[in-house]
Amino acid sequence: MAFVVATDVGGTCTDTVIVEDGRSVFIGKALSTPPDFAGGVIASIRSAAAVMEADLEDIFRQTSLFIHGSTVVDNTLLERKGARTGLITTAGFEDTLLVTRGAYGRWSGLSEEGLKHPVATDRPAPLVPFGLIRGVAERVDYKGAVIGELDEAGVEQAVSELLDEHRVESVAVALLWSFANPVHEQRIRSIIRAHDPDVHVSVSSEVAPVPGEYERTSTTVINAYAGQVVSNYINNLQELLGEFNYRGPVLVMQGYGGLLPAEQAAGRAVNMVECGPVAGVIGSKFLGDSMGDSNIIAADMGGTTFKVGIIQDGEIEYAREPLIDRFHYSVPKIDVASIGAGGGSLITLEEDTGAPLVGPQSAGANPGPICYGLGGSRPTVTDVLLLLGYIDPQRFLNGAMTLDTGNTARLFREQIAEPLGLPTEQAAIGIFRVANAQVTDLIHKITVEQGLDPRDFVLHAFGGTCPILASAFARELSVKRIIVPYTASVNCAFGLAGTDVMHDYSVTLTRSVPCPAEEINAIFEPMIGTARQALEQEGFPEDKMSFRWSVGFRYALQVHEIITPVRAATPLDEAGLEQLVNDFETLYENRYGKGSAYRDAGIEMTRFRLSAAGRIEHPEVAAQALADSSPDAARTGRRRIFVSGRDSLTEANIYDFDKLRPGNTIIGPAVIHTPITTIVIQDEQQGFMDGHRNIIIDMS
Amino acid sequence: MIDPVTFSIIRHRLFRVVDEAVITLKNVSGSAITNEGHDLMVSLYRADGSLLMGGVGFLHHLTSAAEACKSIIRRFRGDIHAGDVFLLNDPYTAALHTSDVYLVAPIHYRGELVAWSACFVHVYDIGATNPGGFCPDAENIYTEGFSSPGIRLVEKGEINRAVMDTFLNMVRSPDMVALDMNSMIACNNVARERMLALIEKYGFETVDETCKTLIVRSEEKLRARLRELPDGQWQSRQYLSVKDEVCRVKLTMTKQDDTLTFDFSGSSEQSRYAINCTKWASLGGLFAPLFPLLCYDITWNEGVISPITMIAPEGTIVNCMRPAPVSVATVGAIQSVNNAACTTIGKMLSASEKYAGEATAVWHANHFAVFLFGQNQHNKLAIGILTETFAGAGGARAWADGIEVGGEIPNPISRMANVETVEYTFPIRYLYRRRLKDSGGPGRYRGGVGMELSFVPHDAPDGGMHYVVSGKGSKFPMSEGLAGGYPGSPNAYMWIKNNEAQAGNGENATHADTTETEQQVVDWGVFPLMGKDALYVRWNGGGGYGDPLLRPAEDVARDVRDGLASQEFAERAYGIVIDPGTGESDPALTQKKRAGLMLDRKSGAQAATAGNAQVNCKHCSGNPAGSDGNWKESAALQETPLQSLGGPYASGGEVMLRSFSCPNCGVLLDTETAMQGDPYLNDRILIRR
Repeated sequence: MAFVVATDVGGTCTDTVIVEDGRSVFIGKALSTPPDFAGGVIASIRSAAAVMEADLEDIFRQTSLFIHGSTVVDNTLLERKGARTGLITTAGFEDTLLVTRGAYGRWSGLSEEGLKHPVATDRPAPLVPFGLIRGVAERVDYKGAVIGELDEAGVEQAVSELLDEHRVESVAVALLWSFANPVHEQRIRSIIRAHDPDVHVSVSSEVAPVPGEYERTSTTVINAYAGQVVSNYINNLQELLGEFNYRGPVLVMQGYGGLLPAEQAAGRAVNMVECGPVAGVIGSKFLGDSMGDSNIIAADMGGTTFKVGIIQDGEIEYAREPLIDRFHYSVPKIDVASIGAGGGSLITLEEDTGAPLVGPQSAGANPGPICYGLGGSRPTVTDVLLLLGYIDPQRFLNGAMTLDTGNTARLFREQIAEPLGLPTEQAAIGIFRVANAQVTDLIHKITVEQGLDPRDFVLHAFGGTCPILASAFARELSVKRIIVPYTASVNCAFGLAGTDVMHDYSVTLTRSVPCPAEEINAIFEPMIGTARQALEQEGFPEDKMSFRWSVGFRYALQVHEIITPVRAATPLDEAGLEQLVNDFETLYENRYGKGSAYRDAGIEMTRFRLSAAGRIEHPEVAAQALADSSPDAARTGRRRIFVSGRDSLTEANIYDFDKLRPGNTIIGPAVIHTPITTIVIQDEQQGFMDGHRNIIIDMS
Repeated sequence: MIDPVTFSIIRHRLFRVVDEAVITLKNVSGSAITNEGHDLMVSLYRADGSLLMGGVGFLHHLTSAAEACKSIIRRFRGDIHAGDVFLLNDPYTAALHTSDVYLVAPIHYRGELVAWSACFVHVYDIGATNPGGFCPDAENIYTEGFSSPGIRLVEKGEINRAVMDTFLNMVRSPDMVALDMNSMIACNNVARERMLALIEKYGFETVDETCKTLIVRSEEKLRARLRELPDGQWQSRQYLSVKDEVCRVKLTMTKQDDTLTFDFSGSSEQSRYAINCTKWASLGGLFAPLFPLLCYDITWNEGVISPITMIAPEGTIVNCMRPAPVSVATVGAIQSVNNAACTTIGKMLSASEKYAGEATAVWHANHFAVFLFGQNQHNKLAIGILTETFAGAGGARAWADGIEVGGEIPNPISRMANVETVEYTFPIRYLYRRRLKDSGGPGRYRGGVGMELSFVPHDAPDGGMHYVVSGKGSKFPMSEGLAGGYPGSPNAYMWIKNNEAQAGNGENATHADTTETEQQVVDWGVFPLMGKDALYVRWNGGGGYGDPLLRPAEDVARDVRDGLASQEFAERAYGIVIDPGTGESDPALTQKKRAGLMLDRKSGAQAATAGNAQVNCKHCSGNPAGSDGNWKESAALQETPLQSLGGPYASGGEVMLRSFSCPNCGVLLDTETAMQGDPYLNDRILIRR
């Protein structure tokens, strides 16, 4: 027997998936234990082990691969607990980081309300204060030509001031045009190393070799700021695993959608931003591949946020202007959009109009919703779901908690229903509609507004709350069907187990179309050489390696670049290159609308990217045989629930997930309780349990 | 009656419609001014052209585009069809200047005209005398490029090629202008599709009812807010200079019960230069700060417009008569109207206990329109504004410093391009681009700092390029302070000729380090940047808030440490003596210095015995308000040349800083920048609330 253990440390919970011999999947869940992650990791693995009727030692003895995702970088930034960081940049441009391209850094990430109220806004305090920024004389131009030599004496002095006087723990180096010629940045790193071999150094031409000095500098600073914390974290993780005598490979999730060996991940902190939710999207893709779905809206709703990613034609969308806590960064990062709407989101009434609002404030886990009876006194989405009959007050979290329906109804009536002038049920229905509208708007924004039609997509519903709302909002979006995966509650950890080792390389160069294929191949060749060497060192044989090429294109006069994957065989021949250019044109019009392209201006290639993957074994869980369609054996009773098509509460069948058998078909309206969440099937919908215990909801 | 839930959903969707249309504009347009600077706007209008949902972007367009819709309705009555798109850019009809082209489109539902969408971008070129559209030396509107009071560009969904080709035939870089037009057509298409989807889903009656209700509620809410604010009258004055001509925009804002009147009587006659603006532009200009300052939590629609009245006498700089030139209006008189309105609204807000926190000194009062043009290193004609002009300095607030390089109020989502983007597009190389020390207006809360930059030609096939500069007002610090705060420093433009430093890294190529004979002030006209020339530009800091002598010493010391103020400036403006050894303020020397400055102020009280009005000082005993006459005549007055503040103030003209202090306690209550002989501004609170 061999196990792959994948653990994802989230803000609230630490989730584990254990894959046995690539065939069976076991799930574990425990509360996260910040600031020390170890307790949660161990408890989570132990909970999965318990399902397998094994103990931790047994598990680790037979583990061949340990995969990890974590919010450590997000937390380091949100809580400002990173290293004391210095910045060395080109003289004359010392303020680039602080000035944030003007107001851009002031308004980015603000809501509509925030944008309209500039007097109340400000930037977040910079990760490197003015006093720790040093300019050094040097200059490279737009072609990469050195037009001002590096003032090495000036560098020595800057390094000495930062390290000796100011005791910085980490240094970011970001010079103008360094992505076109990194020679000065590399020299500065050597000088820092000579001064102190142990201090962390992040260099922009390696961390984010892309044009745009503000975003590149900001990325490098984030990397330097969180770098030390991440290396410590990874060291601690390895020590912890060592205590259980695990000596095998440890792979860490990266925001671009691949895994890196832990030793390398330590130098790439910025790539760990939001890596858990990214793994969730990968998990969706993995599931989609096995179910034959290539267009997927992957939606995850937990206690505080609703997160959603898009998979189109089997490709995952990358973020365009990513932000972490209102700091810009610029590394390839799978796009995960989010809004502050979850089970714990507070419901308020706007002062003057009386219009109901959901979130973004949250009651958190403590005191939490009113119905938890932990002292919460303000109505939340979860309270509304209880009032609408979706949650069984006796069976919440597998009966771990009994919910207080009476108090919930009373406080909701006083605070929401009466001011709205509506009976309690009608008011709760209204809030349910508002929450669904907010979620629908977000999905609309990342589909319709990007030229994607939700009717071509299936919806994956993850997290504790999403499977309750999905059947209602999916109807408005008119998606093809909803899938509530068996692994819905530990989706990010499941995604980790479905990811490959991946190295990302890119070169920024401009080539006009037409251009001989040879020239393109010559750009990729050195990157492939480097990548192959890295994968060999990690022990991947040639047949486990794969190289994906993609090229950033734009129309010569326009500014938006589209990364277009190469579908033809590589190295490219002329026909393959032509196909690539055609693909770009199709993608462009799909995203920016018909007529948005301006072909007369000509086409340019601006960026060349290589993703080099080392394939690891992914679970291929065998399907169980389908039983007959009747779910009656799993039916536990009937209860009134809100039925969206009838706009009222109606009696509906209630089922126990654990007693359902593959092949069972459930006619809506109905509710299925799982040990961790609840799945709602609305009227005119039917649910089907497939051979992997996924629930597939078809819309008629 | 719409239920609150549906109301809430529809309101949100309306904003999303606008937001989505903005994204389309940016996606399709290739211009840096649109994409990098966010000089754009999209809004929705009711069937009669009244404002339904204003988007973020340049806010002075919200009312002008409403007038554009109304004007199209009048002109094409009975001949407006589904799928039509109209172009309008005549400033005497509705637009701000010819370069900001409006494309407005009717939205029909089942054959019925139900709404309009409108958008603008500053097009790449409009065929005016100078590339990019700003024409400093235009004598009249006839040389300011293509101009239409309304023409059908798209007819029932089909582009009218004859019209489009004629238009493109009149501009430079027609391919770039064509992209701008495509972007606006696509933007209107998206707005229409999304609006119709909304109507399909909720029904016309429901959406229409919600729109009406939104407008009623906005009006109710603004009127209620106005009733909470004190009644009174507040004044402000902005100076604009071009060459030897000095113009004034004078504003008296009167707040009575639930109405506001903006009266521009007393403003200068229209200028011979293109800094004038038309009345639609002035109306837009006063609303641009009003939306975010008074209506930050109110939907921006027609309801907000109803309680407001504007008086702008004909033939003045704020309501010029055809054929006066107006191509520089958006950075000329319109911006002065923005600033003047920001100041009077700020004065009103700071007179209210409840709303004082919303008051702000002026942000980024002086755009610097520098348009570069010439063959670039890729052998293409490149035209474009320095988008740094969108990176202004924040004004100080009643509770916090201004945001360094924090943007501006009339466009809440502006930004500037990266140096690398500019260097790739134009054959130039920056020597530096950095924050400008000592530029933030001194105050209890300091104004945010502006920036300075310098660049030289680099790899230019023609040996360099040229630029159009419309740098009006560089003699004046236009970002006024509030409640005793000083104004931010003025703009400056310098041509450094045959700059020898450019071979190196450029560190010593500041204009301060070159000799007088090698440099020339270049604030108006077209100039070369050839060979070893450098262009130096610096821009204004934000206004300060409150008395600078009340700024805590540790805050001033921190400014010095953070490179935002020099030691000398700290002493001159704040009376803070920094110990160069520790970098902290020296308490004994500081106390002495501040006491001396306070004494100087009070000595001004003897000169001010003429007044019979009372000074209402909240810092000492506090005399009752509501007296007749101007309290400033009884205040302690000091008049000092603003140049004497030194640093970036030194390059300004001979304008005075008038400081009005309490004759009793000496605290600075108000400041004015003024030319000799101009009367004191008169602010009166009639009813406190």
